Amino acid sequence: MAITASQPMGLRRWRSSRDAIWQFLPVLLLAALWQAVSMSGLIDPDFLPGLDRILAALWEMARDGELAFNLFVTIYRSFAGLAIGTVLGVLIGLAMATSRAADGFFGPLVATTYSLPKSTLVPLFILWFGVGDITPIVTVVLACLLPVIVGTYHGIKAVPPILIWSAQAMGTPRRLILWRIKLPAALMPILTGIRIALGFSFVLTISSEMIATRVGIGKLIFMDGENGAYAYMFAGLLAVVLIAYLSDRGMVRLMRYLLRWQDSAELTADA
Amino acid sequence: MREPARQPRVWRRVLDAVIYAYPLILVIAVWEAVTELGYVRPLFLPSVGAVVRQFWPMLIGHQIVEPLAVSLFRAFTGLALAVVLGTGIGLAMARFASARWAFDPLVSLAFPAPKIAFVPIFVLWFGIDHLSKILLVAFTCVFPMIVATYHGASAISGIVIWSAQAMGTPEHKIMTRVMLPASLPHVINGLRVTLPVALISAFTAEMVAGGGGVGSAMMYAQRFFQTPTVFVYIIVMLLTGLLLDLGMGRLRQRFVYWEQHD
Amino acid sequence: MTHVRVNGLAKSYRAGDDIVPALIDVDLEVREGEFVSVVGPSGCGKSTLLYILGGFLHTDGGVAEVGGRVITGPGIDRGIVFQEYALFPWLTVVQNICYGLEMTGIREPERSQRAAAFIRMIGLQGFEHRFPRELSGGMKQRVAIARTLAYDPSILLLDEPFGALDSQTRETMQDELLRIWLETRKTVIMITHDVNEAVYLSQRVYVMSRRPGRIVEEFPVALDRSLSREDVMLSSEFNALRNRVWLSVRRQAAPAN
Repeated sequence: MAITASQPMGLRRWRSSRDAIWQFLPVLLLAALWQAVSMSGLIDPDFLPGLDRILAALWEMARDGELAFNLFVTIYRSFAGLAIGTVLGVLIGLAMATSRAADGFFGPLVATTYSLPKSTLVPLFILWFGVGDITPIVTVVLACLLPVIVGTYHGIKAVPPILIWSAQAMGTPRRLILWRIKLPAALMPILTGIRIALGFSFVLTISSEMIATRVGIGKLIFMDGENGAYAYMFAGLLAVVLIAYLSDRGMVRLMRYLLRWQDSAELTADA
Repeated sequence: MREPARQPRVWRRVLDAVIYAYPLILVIAVWEAVTELGYVRPLFLPSVGAVVRQFWPMLIGHQIVEPLAVSLFRAFTGLALAVVLGTGIGLAMARFASARWAFDPLVSLAFPAPKIAFVPIFVLWFGIDHLSKILLVAFTCVFPMIVATYHGASAISGIVIWSAQAMGTPEHKIMTRVMLPASLPHVINGLRVTLPVALISAFTAEMVAGGGGVGSAMMYAQRFFQTPTVFVYIIVMLLTGLLLDLGMGRLRQRFVYWEQHD
Repeated sequence: MTHVRVNGLAKSYRAGDDIVPALIDVDLEVREGEFVSVVGPSGCGKSTLLYILGGFLHTDGGVAEVGGRVITGPGIDRGIVFQEYALFPWLTVVQNICYGLEMTGIREPERSQRAAAFIRMIGLQGFEHRFPRELSGGMKQRVAIARTLAYDPSILLLDEPFGALDSQTRETMQDELLRIWLETRKTVIMITHDVNEAVYLSQRVYVMSRRPGRIVEEFPVALDRSLSREDVMLSSEFNALRNRVWLSVRRQAAPAN
């Protein structure tokens, strides 16, 4: 069950701000191209608003709190779903990896439902839970379960037996083996699963919001599009891309710290 | 003297499959019990029978195959675009430092971004029908394909390329005749992972923006509280995903027979 | 006094539909404080024997006893050192060494004191807070040995402990191990494919046959351990014995005629 896409390359560490500018130069060039095309009038300015208008819209949304509020709602929903999904996923993955009965119960369930796009459950959840926070959060929980379960399961199964044997020879009681040996040894695949789940959490929150909610940045972008406020639509989108990028980077930082003891040869292997 | 046991073997496999799937049977049993005993209103959870009974009229009423064909058409076209583009860019990035420089930040920015948020833009630019959905699918799928191809191509030992160069292979042939076949296992693996993404993107874009396909049909049913219909569509999407994944597994076996397994 | 006793030991593995015998009718005896090696051709099952003694695998027949009691599982009386070090990568050097101490109930401040003593013994002062990934192979193996010695098991089981090291480091580590053994006089059972190493370090060398493994020969080693390494390894006694053992192993490795 290969659900893990290869890790994106990730930018190299910046040694100076000059380095950062050089690495992001292609994006800046693209932005300049955008602005040029927009100003030239080749395309209807509604379809391609200039960067100046987009940034102005962004500023306005930030100033009157609309941006902050909606972003907060979306982030809250994503992280709540991610947190619940992670805890449940780790527990289920642990159970499946250590108990044949649990594997027999959850295995078929996971195998069947993994090909179901969780966003397809949103209309059903709207029927059940309405258009508030619950629908996006439940959807995100379900979507996050899979990568975390798979990461935890494979991580625990792949713990080298000699580590467990050494721990046993040194007198580790059975109840401590899981907590003191297996979990730390499996930390990298588990965190990788959580990183993938993080990406899913944003996608599914925004999907739910665009389909039907009252508030949220997805809904905001959608409504701005419906109402023809295109500069605002692009501005909201820009905010979303930035937030997603920054949270992924944050996750990578966290992983680097938690896994600072990891042999670099293992770090580059695909999870 | 042993008689070939044919009958018991088939039974054995059926029994094994049933035992394996017992949690699913359990879920369906609980579902049926809950609805039969009247614990939930049929609006929220129709009985298993109601869902099954809904299937046939929908099938002959052109409500399953046609929208599904539309969604699959969009998903596959977008995926094909993404594969061609993504493979090309990935190979270029592995071969040329300039390509790496140009695309690295774009891929890094785009990879974690929820591409579904771009649906309103694509609808604005390309309308509500096929084109916007196809391009959204392509947009969503191109990045994992780039990454998969890049990883595969980067892993090619340098001496393989040097050997090809020593034998007088022109540059464009290096990419097509050496790098591409060598990265094929990774590309196909990327494809396997990206195929569900293509489906999901197509379905979700339809749910958000309408314009035909299973996603819109499902939203339409939801708006009119036709819960059994919604369930049928969920099952249809589930089965589609399962079948496609099975098919992908077969494809991999056929085309990547030379791969060494360490 | 007999410390470890193995009699008629048998062990098989299941590979697919087949059953592959790894050990058949293995007999050996180790007295307290003895240093014993088991050598044999690759795949003969020597590691399997060690894992059974460690209590990580169950026997399929025969008896394996420690101190007169049947082995039923891993225990703190039998410390084990693996070829791949098996250090806990998420713990620092000192944390690794403290681990066994913690599990056997040694509390602070004695725990840190003992750990510090062992770190001095293996010469890794200054490396207490490094992670295993920052250490060389030889350093890792020293930590692995220290970790196992720290909580004072009465038996030391070594599974090709120096197999992953280059030959110079290996020689240094062998002398280290010898020194430690002379100091602590623990019962040591070592598995190795290096005949030189076996003869140099042990008081008795067992030779195992090809798979399925059984003990086929036993060589007592009488060397003057007070001599320097050069003197020992250049001596005629050492070489004569080493040649006999090597020949024995080679005969086992040759295909059956």
